[in-house]
Amino acid sequence: MMKEFNIVLAGVGGQGTILAAEILGVAAVKDGLNVRVSEIHGMAQRGGAVTSNVRIGERVLSSTVLEGQADVLLGFEPLETLRNLRFASEKTLVIMSDEQIPPTELAAKNIDYPSVEKILEKIHRFTNRVIVVQTKKLAKEAGSILTRNVILIGALAAVGKLPTKNESLVEALRDLVPSKHLEMNFKAFKLGFECAKQKASQS
Amino acid sequence: MPDLRLLLQDKPGKQVLLLGNEAIARGILEAGIGVVTTYPGTPASEIGDSISAIGAEAGLYMEYSTNEIVAAEVAAGAANSGVRALTAMKHVGLNVASDLLMTLAYAGVRSGYVLVTADDPECYSSQNEQDNRFYALLSGLPCLEPSNPQEAKDMTVSAIEISEKLELPVLLRTTTRVSHTRGPVSYNRLTKPNLKGEFIRDVRRLVMVPANSRPKHGVLLKSIERAKEISEKSPYNKVAYEGKSKFGIISSSSAYNYAVEAADLLGLGASILKLGMTNPLPEKLIGEFLRKHEKIVIVEELEPYLEMQIKAIAKDHAPNVEVYGKTSKAYFPKEGELSTRKVATALARIANKELPIDFAKIDEKYLEVAKNLPPRPPMLCAGCPHRASFYVIRKVAGEKAIYATDIGCYALGIAPPLNVGDIMICMGASVGIGQGISKATDADTLAIIGDSTFLHAGIPGLINAVYNNHKITVAILDNLTTAMTGHQPHPGTGVTGMGNPSEKVDIVKVAEGCGVKYVRVADPFKIKEAIMILKEALAHSGPSVVVFRAPCTLTDTREKRRRGIKTVPSQISEKCTNCMACVRLLGCPALILENGKVCIDEALCTACGLCASVCPYGAMERGSSA
Repeated sequence: MMKEFNIVLAGVGGQGTILAAEILGVAAVKDGLNVRVSEIHGMAQRGGAVTSNVRIGERVLSSTVLEGQADVLLGFEPLETLRNLRFASEKTLVIMSDEQIPPTELAAKNIDYPSVEKILEKIHRFTNRVIVVQTKKLAKEAGSILTRNVILIGALAAVGKLPTKNESLVEALRDLVPSKHLEMNFKAFKLGFECAKQKASQS
Repeated sequence: MPDLRLLLQDKPGKQVLLLGNEAIARGILEAGIGVVTTYPGTPASEIGDSISAIGAEAGLYMEYSTNEIVAAEVAAGAANSGVRALTAMKHVGLNVASDLLMTLAYAGVRSGYVLVTADDPECYSSQNEQDNRFYALLSGLPCLEPSNPQEAKDMTVSAIEISEKLELPVLLRTTTRVSHTRGPVSYNRLTKPNLKGEFIRDVRRLVMVPANSRPKHGVLLKSIERAKEISEKSPYNKVAYEGKSKFGIISSSSAYNYAVEAADLLGLGASILKLGMTNPLPEKLIGEFLRKHEKIVIVEELEPYLEMQIKAIAKDHAPNVEVYGKTSKAYFPKEGELSTRKVATALARIANKELPIDFAKIDEKYLEVAKNLPPRPPMLCAGCPHRASFYVIRKVAGEKAIYATDIGCYALGIAPPLNVGDIMICMGASVGIGQGISKATDADTLAIIGDSTFLHAGIPGLINAVYNNHKITVAILDNLTTAMTGHQPHPGTGVTGMGNPSEKVDIVKVAEGCGVKYVRVADPFKIKEAIMILKEALAHSGPSVVVFRAPCTLTDTREKRRRGIKTVPSQISEKCTNCMACVRLLGCPALILENGKVCIDEALCTACGLCASVCPYGAMERGSSA
């Protein structure tokens, strides 16, 4: 019997982390599971670091994940993935987008964005289970960068060992995405799903 | 975005995932509330926003009021005319509404009236983290505290019932973690709202002149006694877990969730008394619980509100019980929000047990990877007109001027490189504080205030500046919306909460009507003109007003996308010397570095053209979006 399943979603305001977390929560309710989703609606509408938590399990009451207890860390942005590593342990699966959004401090101090190798090295100090998703490329293929969150949900569905059914995730998409963008988002889900599945089989 | 019409389904037993605030909106529909008023403020905003989205279809009336006290006044008028009402606000909004509330507690209401106060432990998006449960004690009004979305909905309905039983307003106090947590919510039946009632004249009851207030204070005190009986029998006050150990935990609100999980983590076997009605407290129930345990741990966020009262109860009911909380046996912080980790750490110390998770080790490992991580604070969006206004203000008024700023997105102007904002306290305070600074120093003094905030609380300050002839320049940063809280309309926008067109309150005419002799409108993106206008304003002998007007870039971009207008991002030509002036002056998130060279992030750039205006080499080619 599963005790609880914890997902930490980390990104930058405007990337769609809140909607992604809601998709996971709606799917859990469709499957009759108890769930809590935390959101912080930040000071600014855009541009700040944002974290959402999804906790699924019969005894779950609080909406925030404890340090070291994430089953999945879903990183929408590499630096934000690093910023949330305290929720990870060797058991955690990290699914990370390759979409880099440089904090303005980097430009102000004339520093380049850290290399992928450096970022992966830091993640590996916590866990070796890392999948990098080429979100930017896949989102273009799907039709809009705004589908990045659904690409990551697709990847999570493929390899995250979620307690929710994949059909429920698709149903949740249908509930939450405006109908005119639905086809595009289904495509994004599929692209993310296949990308992660392929990467998991390679590693 | 979710379709909020989900809230309208009359399907008892249906289970849906709702945000705490959406659950309160559902509670409004189940309680048959006819009038909903609000002024937006995080973490309360989605209550009013949800009702605004579905109010017309639900057949009730909602409004975004000018400010919190006006919102409460409108609702109090309705609730004294036979229509159920609710007002939602953030915790500091209750400071604004408190003048009404303290005396409305004497006058009371005829139909149910609920005032929702959403508190913000940890100041996620607030200027303080005051504990509004003390308003319940101060006013004598009953207070309910939900711990999750289901309770948030159910307690909204119960609050109306209690309000009608006692003929008193009832406070519903949430925290950020209740308002902004999604969880499963089971529906009950909807109740058709009553939109018209009767105002029954009763001067002794409703006109609070001293001769009437004195006896009404006594009436309030009697009502509080009746409220105690309700609290003793309330299903929200109950022993949630029966344990066999000597430990008893008492908790409420979001802290309750942490308490249960922490006790579970430690295998403490403690009994847990959950309090959902926290004013007045159920003295007998608490007394009984105290007598059954040797050690009582009180887990609550912010002030020792429960602890102070429970210690007083202990003196009469269980003088030998040991109480652990925030005062004499201080194990919990009075500041910041709690977490399962904080509660578990405190419980482990109290019970002398070892934590099953080595948090210190995780922290150490984390600090190593996080120590050089560049911060990503909230900031003004790419294309934000405030950035242009701040550039102009800084350019004209310079470093020696003193900037009193206010509550809104523009408070983010304090960040480098804009550095505009020297003092900020509460809604509207910039205008008054600026006058005091101007009187006490010889510096040029500017008040920076947004459109919605100016209409909320800036006008009396402006009248004062005219009346007492203060030398101050008020810069009204008018982005034609209430941006920070989610783009709600306000009196200047010409749209109501019900989505109907209305008269636009003209900020320029308001300022002129207050008697300000120099009032001008400037487009912040037309830098040269804006500079000239601000120079004139500063040179003006009395108070002056400059309205920097340009739409919020988020609403503007959304509108353009809707109309199918494509944005062509700005470009950097070969004339660029990489001097970094644009980065140094503006700090726009769309200006990024690639291999040490300034570039434009095409996904973020809105083609506002501000960088083109400031580039000393004319190397920026403004894109287009028209």
